[in-house]
Amino acid sequence: MALANPEKLKVVTTLSRRDVYFSLARVPRSSRVFLGCSDFKVYEADLAQPKPDFKEIGAHNSYVTGVALHGTTLLSCSYDGRVIWWDTEKKAQIRAVDAHQKWIRRIIISPDGKRAASVADDMVCKVWDVASGKMVYELRGHQVKTPHHFPSMLYASAFSADSKLLATGDKVGHIVLWDLASGKEVTTLEAPVMYTWDPVARRHSIGGIRSLAFSPDGTQLAVGGMGKVGNIDHLEGKTRVEVFDWQKGQQTHLFAGDKFNGLVNQLRFHPQGEWLLGAGGAGDGFLLFYDLKSKKTLRQEKAPMHIHDVALNEEGNTLYTAGHNKIVVFDLKG
Amino acid sequence: MAAPRKTFCGSPDHALDRRGFLGAALATGGAFAADMTGLNVLTQAALAGELKKKQRRCILLWLAGGASQLETWDPKPGAATGGPFRAIQTSVPGVHISELMPRMARRLSRNTALVRSLNTRNGDHGGGARLMMRGRRDEANIRYPDLGAVLARELGQTESKVPDYVSFYFATEGRDFAPGAAGFLGSRYAPMELYKSMIPENIRKLDSISALDHKERADLRDFLTRQFERGRSSSTLASHNEAYQRVRGLMACDKLFDIEQEPAKMREHYGPTQFGEQALVARRLVEAGVPFVRVARAWWDSHGQNFETHQELVPELDHVMGALLDDLEQRGLLDSTLVITLAEFGRTPGINASLGRDHFASAWSMSLSGCGIKGGAVYGKTDASGNRVVEGEVGAAEVFATIYAALGINPQKNYYLGSRPIPLTDPGTKPIKEVLA
Repeated sequence: MALANPEKLKVVTTLSRRDVYFSLARVPRSSRVFLGCSDFKVYEADLAQPKPDFKEIGAHNSYVTGVALHGTTLLSCSYDGRVIWWDTEKKAQIRAVDAHQKWIRRIIISPDGKRAASVADDMVCKVWDVASGKMVYELRGHQVKTPHHFPSMLYASAFSADSKLLATGDKVGHIVLWDLASGKEVTTLEAPVMYTWDPVARRHSIGGIRSLAFSPDGTQLAVGGMGKVGNIDHLEGKTRVEVFDWQKGQQTHLFAGDKFNGLVNQLRFHPQGEWLLGAGGAGDGFLLFYDLKSKKTLRQEKAPMHIHDVALNEEGNTLYTAGHNKIVVFDLKG
Repeated sequence: MAAPRKTFCGSPDHALDRRGFLGAALATGGAFAADMTGLNVLTQAALAGELKKKQRRCILLWLAGGASQLETWDPKPGAATGGPFRAIQTSVPGVHISELMPRMARRLSRNTALVRSLNTRNGDHGGGARLMMRGRRDEANIRYPDLGAVLARELGQTESKVPDYVSFYFATEGRDFAPGAAGFLGSRYAPMELYKSMIPENIRKLDSISALDHKERADLRDFLTRQFERGRSSSTLASHNEAYQRVRGLMACDKLFDIEQEPAKMREHYGPTQFGEQALVARRLVEAGVPFVRVARAWWDSHGQNFETHQELVPELDHVMGALLDDLEQRGLLDSTLVITLAEFGRTPGINASLGRDHFASAWSMSLSGCGIKGGAVYGKTDASGNRVVEGEVGAAEVFATIYAALGINPQKNYYLGSRPIPLTDPGTKPIKEVLA
């Protein structure tokens, strides 16, 4: 098995596309991916092909902001408020649910494949039974309005590796950890620097928690976004990742970027926890690699585009990314 | 600019105006603005008289930084440029606006017209703001007054105790791009600009002076003035006296700016945001006779995260604008009050890598509601992607001609700089008659 070495990062495939790809789910042990797109459609493509054929699976009525896969069941979510179950073999819709009153930002499936969680700007996290499509919990732990009377947004979610915990993160930097067995709140954390309210110059806000990831052992929770922003017309804040020992409620790591501006849209731990990957962008994109043991940033690399979603292979040495007008595959074999 | 002339130019048109002025001047006791340096005011006072009686007013909701037409008045759902928001049916059959504006969608047919075909050719904040506040570019030797100054001049009451032009602009971004500008009309029509406090600072009587003292001081000043004026005639003197009169008026109207004077239910109607509170004060001001109020809501310049920014700002606009129109209508003021939404430009249909939209002046939108407007009218059309105007292209001049016409002002009316006629809008400019009642 080839090791995964961030120092060896290189682009192996670049596919230029007209649209923006917001979400990506990879078929295990393959180079096949499902993609959610700004043209409202869900596609399938094999990124190992020289010129992949983008096969349409189906469509929503707005941007497709999340796709998640378990076996042959694909879930997609959209700003249209719907979650759709798809059969990937039959290329057919299983069911569609009007799940949320506002934009759905993400849908994820627990590692054991039993539960899915959708987070939306109605500030509700809904937990679904993947097999039956029934809603299991409606989790309400985030304020609907910001302290400045504007609608808040619920951007991020993550399951722990043992499928026992779920974390959700919102615009103002509030994080809630939920016990999946009971649907009860376990604890809360705060990362307020991720949210910038400009009370003087522009009188609106930017930022928010955009990504969450549990460490493989479940003891740490990484939180991604952007640091404080001076000019909120642009994504001008430096990249920011905070890591918490969630049981103690303490921030253990702070990676305040010094190279790139923009949002850390995704966080992934290496399968064996060797490093933490952050990906995102502003006008340009970036990939960030952190070593939690040494608390050092291993590498900050410019990406070919603003990255919205990523998937690592089982060894953690191939990285699939989707973003603004491009889909790019990176190799990290070292 | 050439040296100002204050003499009658001799043309027959102006001779008529002079006769009108003499009557008006007598009727107002001779008090008139005398600091309109360079402006031949002899031509103006009587002409405005009829309009002033109609008590027409204007509130400009200035969407500073440039709101996106695609996320407000001219959505393109399903187009690659359309963004994620849906379009919703309005109360006008076949007309859709962004789903972020449900309140305005419900009441569009009642009082509001849309213009979806602005091509103003200036995508720079400063240049665009000056253009859309003044209706045209300054010339080398002419500084044009902005909309507020012109309407203060045309709709203001000479004897009014309230200010003629009030501008709220609390956010700092973009404030200097288009400050209130009286241009050649002179400082008499410059705005009372409020940057920090809802209530004008330093207009309250000092607590150390009793009301009786205050009145007696004014009486003494008037007595001394009358003594001094004997045998003298000077525009400077008249201006000086008027300044005192207006200060006294402003001191008496500070409660107009105080929303605590409104019932809690009314404050809730406008909402807790600064924009809502300022819109409520704007209503109080126009109700009291202030002819022009600008409420600037900054800052819409969403180069990054356009959709998040519009998720915040458009619902606020929808709420505040709807609340304002409802309130004006219920008070019987909407027929005489024109409410405008306007900015320096719109935003690009193209979506950049930061999911933002950039500056775009080639195909954007505005709204006009109330006084003189045909509710539910939609003028102009952009192409399927929103990149260009395909029907009814208009520029800043046509917008201003339409505003003037809606308020009963002849857009071709002349001001005079010395003997040079300066029409309110460039010769030949036509109002958009399709949106006029």
